[in-house]
Amino acid sequence: MNFLNRAIKNVTRRWSKSVLLLITFLLIGNFVIIGLGISQAATDAKTLTRQKMRAVVDYTVDYDAINKYVNELTDEDEINDFYKNYPSVKIEDVQKILQDPRVKTANAATFLTFYEAPNSTVDFVHLNNSVENDSMGGGQSCYISPDGEEICTEYVNPVFGAKANYFPDMIEFADGEFQIVDGSFYTQEDIDEANNVVLVSEAFAELNGLRVGDTFTISTSSPSELNGYLSQFGVTEDDITMEVEVCGIYRHNKAITPDSENFDYTYPYENYDNVFLMPITYYFKAQLPLSQKQFDYYAELYPEDEYYSDPANRPTLENLQNQNLGQVTILLNDPLEVDAFVEEYNSNVPQFLMLDANNEEFERLSRPLDTLSLYANFIVWLVVINAVVIITLVTALTLKTREYEIGVLLSVGASKLKIVAQFFVELAIVAILGFTLSIVTGSMIANKVGQSVLSYQIESSGVNEENEDDYWVSTPSVWDTDYTTDISLDDFVEGYNVTISPLIIAEIYIVGLGIVLVSILIPSLMIMRFNPKRILMNQN
Amino acid sequence: MSEILRLENINYSYIDGGYEREILKNLSYTFESGKFYTILGPSGSGKTTLLSIIAGLDTPKSGELYFEGENVNKIGLHQYRRNKIAIVFQQYNLIGYLTALENVELAMAETDNPLPKDQKAVAYNLLEKFGIVKTKADRLVGQLSGGEQQRVAIARSLASNVNLIFADEPTGNLDTATEKEIIGVFKELAHDYNKTVIVVTHSDAVSQMSDQRILLNDGVLRDL
Repeated sequence: MNFLNRAIKNVTRRWSKSVLLLITFLLIGNFVIIGLGISQAATDAKTLTRQKMRAVVDYTVDYDAINKYVNELTDEDEINDFYKNYPSVKIEDVQKILQDPRVKTANAATFLTFYEAPNSTVDFVHLNNSVENDSMGGGQSCYISPDGEEICTEYVNPVFGAKANYFPDMIEFADGEFQIVDGSFYTQEDIDEANNVVLVSEAFAELNGLRVGDTFTISTSSPSELNGYLSQFGVTEDDITMEVEVCGIYRHNKAITPDSENFDYTYPYENYDNVFLMPITYYFKAQLPLSQKQFDYYAELYPEDEYYSDPANRPTLENLQNQNLGQVTILLNDPLEVDAFVEEYNSNVPQFLMLDANNEEFERLSRPLDTLSLYANFIVWLVVINAVVIITLVTALTLKTREYEIGVLLSVGASKLKIVAQFFVELAIVAILGFTLSIVTGSMIANKVGQSVLSYQIESSGVNEENEDDYWVSTPSVWDTDYTTDISLDDFVEGYNVTISPLIIAEIYIVGLGIVLVSILIPSLMIMRFNPKRILMNQN
Repeated sequence: MSEILRLENINYSYIDGGYEREILKNLSYTFESGKFYTILGPSGSGKTTLLSIIAGLDTPKSGELYFEGENVNKIGLHQYRRNKIAIVFQQYNLIGYLTALENVELAMAETDNPLPKDQKAVAYNLLEKFGIVKTKADRLVGQLSGGEQQRVAIARSLASNVNLIFADEPTGNLDTATEKEIIGVFKELAHDYNKTVIVVTHSDAVSQMSDQRILLNDGVLRDL
């Protein structure tokens, strides 16, 4: 008849006391399960929603920090010096970040527009919408040149677009929005050597019968611009014509159909079918003659001008390539690593630069879940503390009625530790039974309670009110450099499912045994102070 | 007969109303094995205090207690209670949520003394020896009569295979017939099983049946 047997017999034979205790543990268990379930569901919903989001981080100039810094400067020279060395994202820093195994790729892409070259052999993919059929031209603008001559230029919309990147990959390919169907993406070598390679869309390739290795021409300016303001710089047709070679053909998932929003107002260059992908360096190279002629023209016209009189300011391929970058978007492998990644790099980036996880919307929408989780955890702690107090009191009071038994056990030589162990096991048996039952009952009610409190929380937090920006954010555009995924409250609500997972079941038993362990501490101290003589002699 | 328990210059006192009240004064006595002792004395003479000291439930202010020649302090009070002695109380002191059998097994579980392998069978036999048949042995002790409960308590005292048994007014709650029966059991234990039984009692009738009557008066023991 060891202490374990005694504990079992006490629990089973003093069943009325055990049942009362069982009910107490059952109630405690239900509260704890509901609390843990809701908290876990909130965490899971956030995780699931985070996983749905693109794992993008913006490496960007911290304009707020700059404004704050400049506002605090009082010396005009200091301010001017600061603006001369305005902070920017350095490509070499991004390339170091790209070495991080958590990083998939990065976009530092500029969207460019192009015109059909004179005698072009390629046509753009037509949408046959209003802008194509009615008004491809956009009026005329005139100005008086420094020579006193009136120069008028008829505005013509470009027909081709291009995304020109600093890196030999793009986020759109890394996460499956674009796919290579033939050829390959341009290489780092192409970027370094400013090679005239482009990827064209499948539709554009089909329309113009293009294959990998074929070449075609496009123009950086319209004929009207060439005949107009560009003519005064001495810019020729050759200067604005780019002959490009197809290095790859890609497929995209951004098809524009008559059902698309703003279909009639979409210009050809805004249709991804007409968008080329090219190394940014090649564009700089192609722009160089025009830029140099423009500089030379003004240098001759304004020989006294501080800027134009300095030959160092004459455009070269090198200084065109070293333009300031305001922002680079980095794609990580795992959305769940974003926060840690940002935190880690933010402590190392140069002053006035920052990594931004673009978490504002996520955090705004997840606020009800955070609040819910906070309350749920608070309730769990409250219940656990109350449970400890209640069980301690019950056990301590029970000890008074069991003094006699303790005296007998001590008189037959049972150690006080074994007596404490017996009482612990008695409580633990009932706690395990109570919590096991609570898993059954808690599972049945946790989801209903969880859904009700979430609805209430969403209602009271006001996050379900329409966000005025949502409409604009959700409209995809070739101009858009925002790679963050649009999320809505529904994403969180869909992911919020209060279930009693094995983890929660394990937690409930750990919490239960913890309650028993803490609850037995004070009664144990009382037992340790018991004097068998006093107990037994009083009885007799 | 050999010595089993020796008391040497035992003193015990406590503070009562600011004055020290001496209960046991330089008390010395030697108990021999295989004898049935009764300790008599008027109320307040310190019988129960003496019993609690020699049963290892309390410690004297001064003096030494020897069990089979070894100082009890050296044995340790806990070990002494666990392996050397057994106590039978007036209130039987059985555990209510256990059966008679389990109460006996309880003592077996706690002792370090060598016991037969089949403890349950031994417990049944012990109980049967004291008139508790199997059907009653499997009952909760609350369902037994006072006499039966006291027999269970005696059986429990023997279960741990000790040689020294103390009893504090063991027949205080029993009728005369049962009292005789229980005392007969004590005599049997002393004479047939070579146990030493020391009973504290008010009852002259009980003391008359013992081998040695001892009077505790004014803090000292005296053979009658």
